[in-house]
Amino acid sequence: MSNLLGIDMIGIDLGNSTNKSPQGNVILRMDKKYPIADYFPYLIVSDNIRSLDSKTDLFLIDPFQGKDTLKRKAKRGLGIEISIAPARKLDPLLVARWLKELKSIYIFCQSYDCQFILSSGATSINEMISPRSFESILNIVGITPRTYWRKISEWLYAKTKARWQYVKS
Amino acid sequence: MLNHREKRRYVAIMYDENSIYRPFQLHEKIGIRFKELFGVFQMQFAMLKLYDSEFGNVMIVGCKLKYLDYFLVSLVLGEPSLTVVSISGTLKRLRKNVSKMGFRNIKNNRS
Repeated sequence: MSNLLGIDMIGIDLGNSTNKSPQGNVILRMDKKYPIADYFPYLIVSDNIRSLDSKTDLFLIDPFQGKDTLKRKAKRGLGIEISIAPARKLDPLLVARWLKELKSIYIFCQSYDCQFILSSGATSINEMISPRSFESILNIVGITPRTYWRKISEWLYAKTKARWQYVKS
Repeated sequence: MLNHREKRRYVAIMYDENSIYRPFQLHEKIGIRFKELFGVFQMQFAMLKLYDSEFGNVMIVGCKLKYLDYFLVSLVLGEPSLTVVSISGTLKRLRKNVSKMGFRNIKNNRS
């Protein structure tokens, strides 16, 4: 499906089953490092500010929550992810506010040297979002899609490169 | 006065096979969300139109190029979840693209 949509790489939640063997361009998302992480690219994901530490690669943020705590804990290179899925159910006023917060998180990421990541939050194939649709959201909030894709690719490349060098050594 | 025709884009949208909504109902829902988010004027100017798709759970909607971003945002930030599988400037090319993707072709199955 990702090939069909023209997505180069997708992240899937490892969840409870640690014996998954991902195929193709898949990055595993896990809450802590499991043995499978030695063989496949992975990201440590957290959605709780209290569990945010130096090992966390990606922090899933609710755009409506305050950024004050995050300001204290955000480190350079941390990925800050916003999921689109919860926004589907919002009423128009809240969608507008959600889009406004999206922009403010993007500005926050720029000033704190964090990586802004917009994700579909899909739990099924039907919830997946095409890259062109991502670009439309970025255009609406005033973020240049080209810059966004370049930065996210660089960030992902840096993460995986560091991991594989560590594994080989 | 110049006889200028505004460019359109045709969007192939995949919906859930088990969905209770038919394509015309989904088209209405997209229109409602578009109206809610961007207003009645923009929605009218976008000229959203539903086309015959020929493919299983794929519907085709046309929209003016100028309003494509608004249309896609309305799709993504609305319910039920819909996925854009292809976009093209002509219906012919879009149908060709979708047929290459291997979606079940209802018309062919019936014959």
